[in-house]
Amino acid sequence: MNLKFHWRLLHGGETMGATRAAGNLSHSTALPDLENQTEFCRQAEVCGITGLLTNVGAPQPDPILLAAALGMRTEKIEFIVAYRSGLIPPTTFVQQLNTLSALINGRFSLNIVAGHSPLEQRYYGDFLEHDERYARTEEFLAVCHRFWEGAGPVNFPGRYYRIENGQLGTPFVSPSRTYPELFIGGGSEAAKELAISQGSVWMRLADAPERLESSIQPVLAAGKEVGLRMCVICRSTREEAVRAALQLVSGLDLGKNDKALERDFMRKSDSVSIRQAYELADTEWLTPWLWTGAVRTHGGPAITVVGSPEEVASAFIEYKKIGVTQFILAGWPKLEEMQIFGREVLPRIRAKEREMENTVNGHDYEHSNRREPFHAVPA
Amino acid sequence: MPDSPTSPLRFHWSMSSAGARWRGAEPRAAQNGIPNFADYLEFCREAEACGIDSLLTAYGFHRPDPIVMASALGMMTKRIKFMVAVRSGLISPAAFVQQVNSVSALTNGRICINVVGGHTPKEQRGYGDFLEHDERYARTDEFLTICRAFWEGRSPVTYQGTYFQIEGGALNTPFVSEDRTGPEIFVGGASKVAKDLAVRHADCLWTLPRRPEELFEQFGSVIESGTEVGILVSMIARPTREEAVASTREMLEAIGTQAKKTHRDFSMRSDSVAFTSTLAMAEETQSDWLTPWLWTGAVPYLGAPAVALVGSYDEVAEAILEFKDAGITQFLFMGWPDLEEMHRFASEVRPRVEARERRNLRKARPIVLEPSMGGTR
Repeated sequence: MNLKFHWRLLHGGETMGATRAAGNLSHSTALPDLENQTEFCRQAEVCGITGLLTNVGAPQPDPILLAAALGMRTEKIEFIVAYRSGLIPPTTFVQQLNTLSALINGRFSLNIVAGHSPLEQRYYGDFLEHDERYARTEEFLAVCHRFWEGAGPVNFPGRYYRIENGQLGTPFVSPSRTYPELFIGGGSEAAKELAISQGSVWMRLADAPERLESSIQPVLAAGKEVGLRMCVICRSTREEAVRAALQLVSGLDLGKNDKALERDFMRKSDSVSIRQAYELADTEWLTPWLWTGAVRTHGGPAITVVGSPEEVASAFIEYKKIGVTQFILAGWPKLEEMQIFGREVLPRIRAKEREMENTVNGHDYEHSNRREPFHAVPA
Repeated sequence: MPDSPTSPLRFHWSMSSAGARWRGAEPRAAQNGIPNFADYLEFCREAEACGIDSLLTAYGFHRPDPIVMASALGMMTKRIKFMVAVRSGLISPAAFVQQVNSVSALTNGRICINVVGGHTPKEQRGYGDFLEHDERYARTDEFLTICRAFWEGRSPVTYQGTYFQIEGGALNTPFVSEDRTGPEIFVGGASKVAKDLAVRHADCLWTLPRRPEELFEQFGSVIESGTEVGILVSMIARPTREEAVASTREMLEAIGTQAKKTHRDFSMRSDSVAFTSTLAMAEETQSDWLTPWLWTGAVPYLGAPAVALVGSYDEVAEAILEFKDAGITQFLFMGWPDLEEMHRFASEVRPRVEARERRNLRKARPIVLEPSMGGTR
């Protein structure tokens, strides 16, 4: 199966050429920008991007409704709708998503996150702490699955949710699925377990492949996929790419401000992955192509693959070899980086994937079976 | 009694039956919840052409979600507003405000909200809501208090209530509109708690029709308090009274009698005062005519909102103005079928209402207000 590449949707208030990331902490993202966002969707379709991530949070418009609006203006692109439990009960959530699916023919998946800031969760009346939020999200998704299974009225006597004879008239509508693909975001053990029990894909922040390998094993063994949220800076040579990366953090007048904002954001957060990424940034180059230099100004998702098209393509193949199958990417400038990726990187990745497949089919049977668990000897 | 209501009458239409002519006659669970977008869009465009103010997108487990529909339909329309139904207990108030504000930003303020208490406890439990009627209204009171704090710019919002606790709530996306900082708020119901809720929070209370003088008796205090009162009413207007009455007979024949059972079953499960009292009234009264133009004959078949204004164009226009005399200033219409009736309303009834208002041709028939019925606020 080919790697799947998604991109982060341009926020309202961001320009196509913007290089800042801390903008999602400011008021500039308050409003949707239908013209520019629709154009970004169309460009993503051209670039071979599968889905666009619509963030969730108090600084932004509601992602379900934004996806409905943009879905009416596009044909092919999918949306990765981020949402958190604790904002809306599961029955209402499924009703909204099923309605969305009927309107845009199922062109969306879900990125379920537990919320990264206890302070922000309280805006919505949610006073649970980190691990309990995951326990609640577990129940939340279990109820959602019951509705999507469609096996009659839903009864769920849970700890956080109690549902009696829940029914919905609008089913999930899609040409190929009975429920949306579920990305579960988060770097903690709780997030990983949730991905295994309720999700389709465990979505986490990037790290060097050799360090990721053992952490993702249990997820792959459970038959679920692994995805990475990260960034890309690709230029025609490695030197140019590195220069662009360094300019990103040094060339900004607002650099200092971004750093203070990001530190403050990190301090208020109880997200394990945001902390891990912040700590990883002690080492600027995790591999010759994996750069953390933007993390402390641009946030955890800014762990970045930097290099020439060939180097960047090879980097993604490294991840493929350890079993990662999906990516949600972003870059700077926001539109141009996606276009470079679509034009220069993606064709190289596809060529390498074909090569790998030929090797597997032609010579190396052992390799093709590598991921099948072998249980010949009973424990 | 308002001597000379200064605000012009406003006319809305229900989109509940878009694409399904006799939808109200089927049990709710049997209705198809997959929205036919083309039907909805046609409905919106016809309503724009007919000068309708807003379209009610109702809430129910058997229906698509109204706010998601409003967001999508808003992309394909220019002027029509969406009156999105909401029940408290189905969503956190901050998340709701964020959704409403998002639609306002996407449609340039073309959203208002219709807050209802929910009408069957059984359905509410499917959403995880186990409160009974009066408690649902108490919770809705807290819900709207929090929502209005956001809309009135009182962020960060902190609220310690019985049903909701909010701490430091702040949302970036504002309500976007040329002339408002929050959506117009409609509250539905007929019980005392519904009236109190409307007086505290709403721009307008929606209720079901009675004879105008009865409505004034029941809702005069709400009007006196400065909250408008509107009615949810069906319309069967034809060139002559005979044709209109003949249409009511055709309508009943078309529906058949199976539907009657549907609504008796529904009524037994419902704890809505507005719905159950209207059904009871329709079943108990000797005649199907509350006034010469207010007909309840379809209520047992199509549900409580099927109380209908029936008559010639002139009679229906006159009836609307009789309600106006009783203080009713907004109307939420339904038709059987909707689009044909909406066209007759736009081309025949509304011009007659406006002409009468302009020329003041009507003889004044004031309803005398007893001193004890004065406003309470």
